[in-house]
Amino acid sequence: MKRLLVVFALLATWPLGVLAQGEMHMAGMGNEPELGASAAFDAHGRLWLVTAKDGHVRVQHSDDFGKAFSAPIDVNPVAEKIYDEGENRPKIAFGTKGQVYVSWSQPLAQPYSGYVRFARSLDGGKHFSAPITVNHDLAKITHRFDALAVARNGDVVIAWIDGRDEVATKAAGKPYLGKAIYYTWSNDGGASFAADHKLMDHSCECCRIALAREPDGNVAAFFRGVYGDDIRDHAFAVLRTNGKTDHPQRVTFSGWQIAACPHQGPGLAIGSNGVLHGVWYEASHGPAIWYGQLDPGQAPRHKLKIGGPGASHADVAVHDRDVWVAWTQVSATGYQLMLRASHDGGDTFDAPYAIAESADAVYSPQLLVYQGRAYVAWNTAKGFRLIAVHYTAEARR
Amino acid sequence: MIRRALCVVLMCFALPAFARAAPLTLLTTSEIPALVKPPAHGERIIALWALDCAYCEPNLAALAKLQRAHPDKIQLILVTTDGPDQRQAVAARIAQMHMDGYPARLYAEPTPQRLDYLIDPEWGGETPRTLVIRADGSRVAISGELTPVQLQRIEP
Repeated sequence: MKRLLVVFALLATWPLGVLAQGEMHMAGMGNEPELGASAAFDAHGRLWLVTAKDGHVRVQHSDDFGKAFSAPIDVNPVAEKIYDEGENRPKIAFGTKGQVYVSWSQPLAQPYSGYVRFARSLDGGKHFSAPITVNHDLAKITHRFDALAVARNGDVVIAWIDGRDEVATKAAGKPYLGKAIYYTWSNDGGASFAADHKLMDHSCECCRIALAREPDGNVAAFFRGVYGDDIRDHAFAVLRTNGKTDHPQRVTFSGWQIAACPHQGPGLAIGSNGVLHGVWYEASHGPAIWYGQLDPGQAPRHKLKIGGPGASHADVAVHDRDVWVAWTQVSATGYQLMLRASHDGGDTFDAPYAIAESADAVYSPQLLVYQGRAYVAWNTAKGFRLIAVHYTAEARR
Repeated sequence: MIRRALCVVLMCFALPAFARAAPLTLLTTSEIPALVKPPAHGERIIALWALDCAYCEPNLAALAKLQRAHPDKIQLILVTTDGPDQRQAVAARIAQMHMDGYPARLYAEPTPQRLDYLIDPEWGGETPRTLVIRADGSRVAISGELTPVQLQRIEP
């Protein structure tokens, strides 16, 4: 009788086991569209788009500014789970010799866990190397929200949010707020990566990290930290690839104190004159998107409120004296892609205007610059769009 | 003995049905006016949370405890801002948190901004977010894991 009961008990719990396994297999691999995508121009003006579908990171390119795209190439031949929504999206960047680099974050079975993944193409995006896990620490904890950039000397830099210090500190019975920022680099064109390198304890847990190249060619990071008792302001640091560690400095001082996930990381663009143009979200006095010129250790200069309720996910770009800020403004009927332009290096901005609209769901806009002109890459539920800012500006005149 | 054993077996089969009393359903834009309408009595607590938000689990547990202390006055609804693609992961997390007994909704759109805005225009999407709507039409909205003082403030 006991044996009979065991069999029946197993049968009764079987559907729950099936659900758990199905969840592991399907998360991030479903049929509903996920909109997490990144776009970038290479040195020759070819537009590249990286998305994820059915467990594959996919790369396409366009030679006519996004009107037509090549057939997608799977980066990872073996399907795996991929973070492709919210603040996580696949990334793409280019090496000094035409290499195509792709990174993404891979969810693990445990909540809040993941690995940073990387693959490269040495034949112009026709074939990709087998993906490697970038983080050397392989504990099944957070190594997610990867950010990818290439220094002028060709070093491939990847930064991410990492949970190892939180886990170790809490295991020792001590408190630890937030997580940490780690990074690594490759000085052999993405064939291998240096040991994991801690940049800062106490970062926000799930806001994207913004990377941009400094005039000297180094890659710099702008990210949300946790200061004092859960104050969610931002830090700036150079991600050095010579073994030395920059000391991150606080660059925003909103004082937004909250034990929460903002789900909105910042944007960064660095002028050839070294001016750090930043955009960020905080809600110390209601939701607000800000622009400012970062001054490490000091309050931002030329701070300007870009948007309030309904404004989200801003990005920023710069070329000479032109600075652009793009963001989405939501209403009951849909989304507007908004833009503000400055022609004096970000000291003052023209009035905001809508450069595109969508009645359907949209992903965070991404500002790109090619030959001094700004474009906004906007992935929507109806497809990817590339909006040329100069056309919208001419149409308004 | 056999009758008692059969009884146990039947209970084993029926258990998942009781545990999943309220299904996880998609929340569309057209349903939001009804979601945020003042209840006939007491208060409705809309617990906004996300899979990626570690602060959300203790917040949901605290709200469930509050609801259990005032079962006749508090209607607790879980709303996750994750999109429809995350349905199975959300269902699994709710079961793992032992929150299956509460009505649970999942955003029907793949990105959250429009639904966030329609639920609460003064909310930028950070989670957890607790929205309390009382029968008299008054509202309290709090972002972040609720402190004991904030929990007292929303108690009916």
